[in-house]
Parts: sequence; C-alpha cells; structure tokens
Amino acid sequence: MRSEIKSLEIKNLDVVYGNGGHAIQALENVHLKMVGGQCLALVGESGSGKTTFGKACLGLLPESTRIRGSIYLNSEKIPYEDKKTLQEIRWKKIAMAFQNGAATLNPSHRIINQVAEPLIEHGIENKTGARVRAAKALEKMGIRSDAHRRYPHQFSGGQAQRIQLAMAMILDPDVLILDEPTSALDALSKGLVHRVIAEKKSRGKVIVLITHDLEFALKSADTMAVLYLGQIMEKLPAQQMFSNPLHPYTLALKRSYPTMNGARDLGGIRGDAFYRTVHQHGHGDEKDSPHSHIQVPESSHKDGHAPPTGCLFQERCTQAIETCRHGHIAFEKVEDHDVRCIRRGIVTMLDLNGIKKKYGSAAALHPINLNVKAGEIFSLVGETGSGKTTLAMIAAGVLYPDAGTRFFEDRDMDNWIKKDYKSLAGKIGVIYQNPAESISHRFTVREIVAEPLKIHKVFKDKEEKEKRVKACLADVHLSTDNAFLERYPHELNMGALQRICIARALVLDPSLLIADEPTSSLDPSVQAKVLKLLLDLQIKRGLTMLFVSHDMGLVRKISDRIGVMFQGQMVETGPASTVLEQPCHPYTRLLIQSARGEFSSEMSEENRTANTEGCSFASRCPHRQDLCTIKTPSLRSLGMAQVACHFPLGAKDPGP
Amino acid sequence: MHGKTVKDLKHNPWFLTGLSLTGFFFVLAMVGPWVAPFSPWDISFNPISPPDGKHLLGVNDGGQDILSELLYALRNTITFGLLSGCTALVSGVLTGVLSGWFGGLLDAVLMRIADILLAIPAIMILILTAAVFRPSPAFLALILASITWPTISKAIRAQTLTLKNSLHVKAAFQMGAGSWYIIRHHLLPEMFPLYLIGFAAKIRMAMFMEASLAFLGLFDPSRKSLGMMISYALNYYYLDIWWNWLMPPILCLSLVIMAITFLAISLEDVLDPRLREAVMEKTP
Repeated sequence: MRSEIKSLEIKNLDVVYGNGGHAIQALENVHLKMVGGQCLALVGESGSGKTTFGKACLGLLPESTRIRGSIYLNSEKIPYEDKKTLQEIRWKKIAMAFQNGAATLNPSHRIINQVAEPLIEHGIENKTGARVRAAKALEKMGIRSDAHRRYPHQFSGGQAQRIQLAMAMILDPDVLILDEPTSALDALSKGLVHRVIAEKKSRGKVIVLITHDLEFALKSADTMAVLYLGQIMEKLPAQQMFSNPLHPYTLALKRSYPTMNGARDLGGIRGDAFYRTVHQHGHGDEKDSPHSHIQVPESSHKDGHAPPTGCLFQERCTQAIETCRHGHIAFEKVEDHDVRCIRRGIVTMLDLNGIKKKYGSAAALHPINLNVKAGEIFSLVGETGSGKTTLAMIAAGVLYPDAGTRFFEDRDMDNWIKKDYKSLAGKIGVIYQNPAESISHRFTVREIVAEPLKIHKVFKDKEEKEKRVKACLADVHLSTDNAFLERYPHELNMGALQRICIARALVLDPSLLIADEPTSSLDPSVQAKVLKLLLDLQIKRGLTMLFVSHDMGLVRKISDRIGVMFQGQMVETGPASTVLEQPCHPYTRLLIQSARGEFSSEMSEENRTANTEGCSFASRCPHRQDLCTIKTPSLRSLGMAQVACHFPLGAKDPGP
Repeated sequence: MHGKTVKDLKHNPWFLTGLSLTGFFFVLAMVGPWVAPFSPWDISFNPISPPDGKHLLGVNDGGQDILSELLYALRNTITFGLLSGCTALVSGVLTGVLSGWFGGLLDAVLMRIADILLAIPAIMILILTAAVFRPSPAFLALILASITWPTISKAIRAQTLTLKNSLHVKAAFQMGAGSWYIIRHHLLPEMFPLYLIGFAAKIRMAMFMEASLAFLGLFDPSRKSLGMMISYALNYYYLDIWWNWLMPPILCLSLVIMAITFLAISLEDVLDPRLREAVMEKTP
C-alpha cells in the first residue's frame, strides 16, 4: 500500500446514456476532488445521477455509454480502456457497495464464497485464507458465523446490504463508494455503517457516500455534494446541510427530509424531476414571456424534459428570474460553499434593518432586524403586544418605521413606496387575523377575490379575469361554480372566509405572503385545513412567507426559521429546529414551556416591573444576574441561532 | 344591494306601507296637473261651497276648486323637498367623505364651516331671505340645503373615520388601491343606510319648512302650497269647512312625511341594524 495521501479526483465528467434523440444526459461537467480521511456524500433525488457517478468511477457503465472527462485515483489517471489494469484497480483500489444488496449478490453462491471471491481473484489469499478473512469481515458487519454458509435469498434486505459492504471492503480499497448503504437498514444498523465509515476515514481512506438519507450523510460525511439532473448544484460542508443551505434545491431537499429535530411538516419540491435529453443546439432561444417571476411549472415542460438552456432547476425553483433561463450557470464560491446559481444561492427577499417604531411615547419596536430568505417560511412568535404585527405590517409596507431601512428584493422599500406603491403592493400578499373584517361585506365572493385584479387593472378581458379568480379559488379548495361566486361573506363560515382571503392574497401571484395570525380565529379542525393549504401553496407557488403567530405548536409545524420577539425586540432567531429544541433565551424557553402547559408563576406577566435599563426580560428571568439589569444585551451568534441574552441557556461561556 | 335584502323588505310591513304611500303621493304629484278637474287659478266658482258631485272637496273662499288646488300644492311641496333633500345629501356626503378620508386642512376648513352652519337656525335664515329677497322657491330650497348639509356631513365623516380604520379598507389600501377606488368601492356603498336616513330627514324637514313658509305667506300668493291652503282655511275656522278644506292639506303633509319616515326606518332596519343605532343620535 502506498504511503502518500489517497485521493480521488474527477475532472469534467460527462456521461450520456444511449444516443440519437433519446440520449440521456446522466452527468454533466462533474468536478470533484476528495482526499483521504474524508467522506463526501452525494445527495439528490432519484435520477439525479448519483449511482451513475459511482459506476463511472469503477468503469462499470455499459459499452454504449459516452463518457468524457477523466478520473484520477491517487493522482494517477484511471485507464478505463485498459481492461486489465482496470480489473487490477477495481476492488483493490476502488470498490463499490451496490444499492439493493440482495439483487446484486449471486443467488447461486454461498455468501462466504462471494465475499471471499475478490481475495482469490486478485491472488491475495488462497481459498482457506480468503474464507477466514471473509468470515471476519462478515462478522464485523454483524453477520453471525452460523449464517455465513447461507445463500443470498436467505437474508433480509438489510443483511444483504451489509454483506455487500463486507464484500466491498474485503480488499481494503483506498476509495470506497457506498451506494445507498443505509436504505434498507434500521436505525441501529445505520450506527454500524457509521462506525465503519468513521474507522475507514481515520485510516485515511476516501469514502464516497451516495445516499438520500440526509441525516445519515450529515453524521458521516464531511462534505456534501447536491446533485440534480447530473449537475452538482451545491457543494457544502455537511454540517450546514440543515442550517445553512444556499441553493434553493438544497433547501427544498432538506425540507423534504424527515428529521428527528425538525418538527416542521414535510414539504416537497414543486414539480417533478425531469429526465434530461442531450442538448440540441439551435433549440434554446425560444421567446419567453416577460414575467420575471416564474409561475407554476407545468406549462412548458409537460413532456418531462429538463429546460434546454439555463439553470436546470429553473422550473422548480422558487426564486427563478429571467436570466436563469439562459446561458451558462457557473459554479461559484459563496461563503464556504460552491453553488451553481446565477443569484449566488438563495436570495434575501426581505431585509429590515434597525427598524424603530413608536406609538405615541410607547416604543413598539426597538431597533430590530429581520431578514427573510426567498422560499422560506419565517415565523415571528411572541406574546401579545410584543410588536409582531407592527413588524409584519412594516414589512408589508403599510406602516412606516420611524427609523431603519427596508429592502424588498434588494430594492429600497421606502423609495419604492414613494415612487410606485402599487407595483410593490402587487408583490406582497397579506392575510389578516380576522377574515370577516378584512373583506367588505358588500362584496360577493367573486368581487372579493377579483379586487386586487381590479385595483391593479391586470385583465381587460372579463373572461380571463374570471378564469384567474376561479383558478385561485380552486387553489384554496373552494367551489368555483357561479352560485358560490355570487355569495356574500355573511353566508359563509370562517374557514371558507379565510380561504377566500388567502385566494385574494394570492391572486396577483405575489412573491411574499405575510400572514398575521391567519388561523387564530378558526377552530382547530379548520385551522389544520388552512395550514395544510398554506403549506401546499407555499410549495406549489414557491412563496416566501412571513408568518406571525403566538402559537408555538403551530409555528413548530410550519417554520423554517423562527424569530422570537419580546417587547419590540428580537430576543432569539435561528433555524426552527434549533430554536425549538435548544432554546437559548430564557423567554423562548418560557414560551415553549407554556405551550406545553407547564406554567411557571415566577416568569409570568404579573411578576413584571418596568425597567428602563438593561434586559427587558430581566424582571421575569429566573437566571438574571446583576449585569442583566444594567446592560441591554444585543443579538449575538450562538451556534446556529442568534440570541440577545447575557447568559444564554446551554452556552459554554456564559457572559460576554 | 344584497339579494337577501330585497327579500327581507318584501315582508316588512313598515316598508310596504311607506312604499305604497310614498308611491301614491309621488304619482299624484307627478300627474296632478293632468288629473285635476279644474285649473286651481280658476276663480269662477261659488266661493265657500261644500263638496258636491262637481267639486269633490268643495270650493274655497276665492272661488277655486279645493281638490285641484291640493294636487298642485302637493306637487310643489314634494318637489321642494326632493330638491332640497338631494342637494343637502350630495353636498353632505361629499364633504363628509372627503374630510373624513383626507383629513388635514380640508377636514378642518369643512368642519368649521359645518359648525358655523349648525349654529344658525335654518328657519330664521329662510324667513329673512324669503321676506327680503323674494327668491324663487327652487332658490329657497337650495338655500335650505346649504344650511342643512352639515348634519349629514358630520355623520358621514364620523362613519368614514371608523371605516378608515376597518380592516377591509386597510386591506384594500395594502393591495395598492388609491383614494378614489377606496371611496367609491369601500366607503360610499358601506354608508348607504346613512344616506337614506339623512335623505329622509332632510326631505321631511324641507317639506315641513316649505309648508311653514307658505303658511307664513312668504311665498308668491299665486303659488299653490299645502301651507298656504292651511293658512287660508284657518281664516274660516268658524265655518264648517274643517273637514273638506283644512283637513286635506294637513293630512297630505302628515302622510307624506310619515311615509318617508316609514321607508327610511324599514330600509335602515334591513340594511344595517347596527348602523342605525349609531347614527340615530347623530342625525337630528
């Protein structure tokens, strides 16, 4: 074995299956470099080219496949044309454990023989020696010795997968490619695989983990590469997969994955993954509509073909703009990620900075910051009177802050409001707490939903307008027949009214939806329906949502990120899972405990005294110290969250 | 208007009474000159004669047919009421909505004017104008309207201020609606019941005022009016003419005013019961 650092480098790898009009681009321009002691996880939906990548590394792709680019193993190019050398390298230097273990094992041989086979093939051991080593390897993977002489069909899927692993590792290769090693494994067996990977890493091996199990990838891998339709969309440190994804696809993928810490309802990714036919030149310059915001992705790609030009993810992306449709999307460095996105990853939709607001002499908002990224659901929580609604309405552009700057889609909002409020208003939809009051009782359902269209004079043609109204009503699962359209609000129940309000907020296809306690006036069963609806719409339309609520249980179900407000200040903000599972601010913990029904008298509202200096929560805080009553804490980073507390809970170094 | 409202109204006895009475008097006023058996200025009949087949209500002291006179008088009174009521309504609603919605200087100026006008007793102004300038009845109606609009304006303004803070107006504003859109689609229709009340009050007041002025003899004596008829009839109260000469104009005036009141009350009731209580105190 060589002593130098092991590495696997892939340069400009292109893989095309088949030929002619039906050729399918499986991988495009994949560029990766892995060094020994590291594990790279390739993640992505099925059909994204993960397995193709593994097979390409081993030279196992069918003859007819067109492959371009080169792969270097320990800085030496692998000669795929030279079958003999390849045979030598395979298993010995680079090995792969295949997905679906049972099917890839030979059903007519005992497993012990199959595992031992590479040892004999490569002439490393004789039959007996090989069996001994194979038995050891199998036992290490948790297959007991009395089962070694069985045939593959006598094993469960999970066991077969572990046998595959044992086989791949039997020659102790430098590069180990694991294709979905955990897909058939239960949580405990996953631990075994994790330990094996950790052990290999410590011995300086290169591990390529092909998986859709994000949580496992997060635990085992150092780097993650997110593959979509054969292109790497983002390469990021594995730790940041859940906390700081930069590419919209990574975020969507993360959202689809069930984790133990996140309580948010699973989202999906709108549209379906396409398959990609090879680019046909001269086909790419179709004229597109002047919309800067891509609508629901059914329209142009019904046949399931990926977009011919521009970003592959454009049709499903929540922040696609016109330029995403054309030209080459480069892979560039953003923070410590590499992102293939023309907009340099997920953009900030709303950015409020140092916002102050006073009502008379009472300060409703102390300088407060808020930023909401495109495609996410940001929840503002806090008790009544904490300034949530004020902040939301400032974000909506209907209230004016006393100080601070507001940016929406990178444009100065105050300026925008002065110049052309209407165009801004069309981009922000608002749902109010009380649906019955937020609509005029003199309007019919049709008039209510069509009102924004009327104000913005979107359609001159009545039929088109009607069509849009009906489409929106259908989106919120309401009837679209004329009898219903002619009804008046007082004839409808609250749930239907709130859905009408949602339809009205969406009829102009806004990019930001601000929902101010949208379900607090509804009973639980209706609330569940409305929330489900909002989440579905969020995925379908790629909306960014600012959600205001005092209900922690509800926020837990829908948020990507949470901001906790107390007396006009943001006391804690961060990813929903972090804030809810490991609250750093005592107030956040109080909110969570109260939501669980654990009321504490010490921290209750009555215990409050007015204090002008120091932390506004100090008088109610069980952890207060002298500093808290003297100095006002400012927001500082703590792990993935930001917290405004001198002595945050669970912090290793208390105090600034 | 809501489809349901119409259905509700069909079963409302107040509304039905009011509508049939108003309709009856309105039609009577319209067709009066054509159905009147004689010209009211024809003095060729036997003065102060009781009703008979030819003169259904008899003849007055001037030798004129009382029925014909009544029909012409009714027409004059109703026209005066409508003209004054409409003018007061339009100016009241406009000033009320504008000062409520835009506020600021406009509001301050309009409302100070309104306050001044509210302090002036309408009847005094009318008597003085009529006596000194002897203007046409139409001009008097307009003068009356110019004094009576503030009550409507104040009520509309108050309601506009309330509506301004209501969520559906805020929502419309958030959607990007301009002032005119909101005034047209959210404020004006919303205050419909308020107009009815204001309108009815002003018409009632104007008709009563017209009768009073005529009673006082401040109009051209040749102009037929219910007030003047009452006034002349009273001169002969010692004769047995009260039932055929004095009664008809008094009855007509009372019934018209009652009918309009019924109509207003029932419409308010059906259109928006909540609003009625709020507004009743504001409209005298």
